[in-house]
Amino acid sequence: MSDTAVPATARPKKPRPQLTTYLLVIVLAAFTVFAARQIDLEWSSFIDMWTNPLWGRFWPVPWDWVLNRHNVFDALIETFQIAIISTVIGCTLALPIGFAMSKLTSPNSPTFWVSRTVMSIIRAVPDLFWGKLLVTAIGIGAFAGAWALTIFSLAVMVKLFSETVDAADPLPLEAARAAGGRHTPAVRTAVLPEVFPAYVAYALYVFELNIRASLVLGLVGAGGIGRIVETQRSTFNFDRLLGILIIMFVIIVIIEQISVAIRKRLV
Amino acid sequence: MSDTDVMIPDDTDQPVGRPERPNGPRNWRIGIALLLIVAAMWSWSGLDASLRDALEAPGKGWNIAKQMWTPAFNTVIERGAIGKIFESLYVAWIGTMIGAMLSFPLSFFGASNVAPAAFRVPIRMLFNAIRAVPELIVAMLLLSVTGLGPWAGALAIGLHSVGTLGKLSTEVIETSDEGPLEAISAAGGTFLEKTRWGMVPQVLPTVVGYWLFRFEINVRASAVLGLIGAGGIGGELVSQLSFRNFPEVGAVLLMVIAMVLVIDTISGFARRRIIAGSGRKIDDDDDSAAFEALRDLTGLGPEPV
Repeated sequence: MSDTAVPATARPKKPRPQLTTYLLVIVLAAFTVFAARQIDLEWSSFIDMWTNPLWGRFWPVPWDWVLNRHNVFDALIETFQIAIISTVIGCTLALPIGFAMSKLTSPNSPTFWVSRTVMSIIRAVPDLFWGKLLVTAIGIGAFAGAWALTIFSLAVMVKLFSETVDAADPLPLEAARAAGGRHTPAVRTAVLPEVFPAYVAYALYVFELNIRASLVLGLVGAGGIGRIVETQRSTFNFDRLLGILIIMFVIIVIIEQISVAIRKRLV
Repeated sequence: MSDTDVMIPDDTDQPVGRPERPNGPRNWRIGIALLLIVAAMWSWSGLDASLRDALEAPGKGWNIAKQMWTPAFNTVIERGAIGKIFESLYVAWIGTMIGAMLSFPLSFFGASNVAPAAFRVPIRMLFNAIRAVPELIVAMLLLSVTGLGPWAGALAIGLHSVGTLGKLSTEVIETSDEGPLEAISAAGGTFLEKTRWGMVPQVLPTVVGYWLFRFEINVRASAVLGLIGAGGIGGELVSQLSFRNFPEVGAVLLMVIAMVLVIDTISGFARRRIIAGSGRKIDDDDDSAAFEALRDLTGLGPEPV
């Protein structure tokens, strides 16, 4: 038993939070209020928004129009085509570049630094910015969208993949080099087999990502179903908009389920 | 050199050399490669572009990139680009706060060790449904009803964040330690007291870490929302592009890149500090680093371990 004078039934003293904690909370709360003011956010605007009579125009959904093949499904197929080709090209290019971006397998340090810097700058520009830029550069349409997604998914893929390569076992590579292997064959036989399952898993993620991105690319003129969304919005056909939205929703859910199922089998 | 120096076991006919390659998954591989090639060709056919377009495209891109140099910072700053950068940040911050404040209480009702299935199932369905709708689409719907303005963008980002943050915090709550809860029960604590003093302190560091993650993603999202008229720096990019003022476009792009990188650095530092302060070991596990990067970039990702 303890020798202290405090009786056993007394409550222990409650630890006080540090002063810096209080200060941080106050500063963040003040910043939140300030930011809300800056963007004109008020409680009344919430209520105004939900009671807006325009919401009534979203219903009922004109399913005849939505399910007509020429209205929505053609654009949907274009969406898939953009996502597929940019995933295939992006992920194929990501294999060599990803190896170049890892300390373990990079052929030399200029390649390492240049590829890393270029890729992180590409990643810092959001995907739809790429869409908008390339639409300006090479013209409106799915082709610009495919370019945008290829570039962005390449940058995402190499980041994920090179981090997996970083964590790969260095000993097989050392063995291959000790046996006299040149750089590329040594990497291919000693590192690639270990990281390939992860590569496939990431490629599936990137595909999922590209599907999501290509659904909205059309909003900036880069093809796919977003193009239909944009035209229907600008002509205020909100009921058709809701129908397209439901179809997009179903597709995202299905793709996610398939992707999860494949990934479970891979791991 | 005599024959005995070469170490060949006598009882084998096999020559010394490479063992035969295992041939199992090769046919599969060829099949999958063919499938990918066919899929890519089919996709190419739908893009409505000739080979010449494809060969010319990099040149066209380079042409534009050349015109962006040197970036005209003075002109865009005179037009208030700095203020628009901050507007994007405010939108992202408010969106994250809306998402955090709505998702945190909800995620308790979505956790299997807190709530019965009657609450859990609908809440999880809600999270998954929200996650499936791209925030750009939500923003577009809100904007077409409310008119253009940054707060609709903040609301769209907030709604989308409820889905992702709710899913992640639910998982954190489900993996929390039961010990403190049991102790509070034993001391006569009510359900509310158990949650407040047993659960919240355990999960808060990790959950706040996810909030910061989400903030980083939302900064990118709010920049994009400007493209469709929800305020912020994206709107500036659109107007400069429509006049083909490429030096100004270059300046805006560099400002966006700087914003994203600065926020990622600050937020990453804060996240590491929070996790370190919570007394948990920083997980340097190989997989989790890459998965963290994935969630960092995309908001998607596998369940955290």
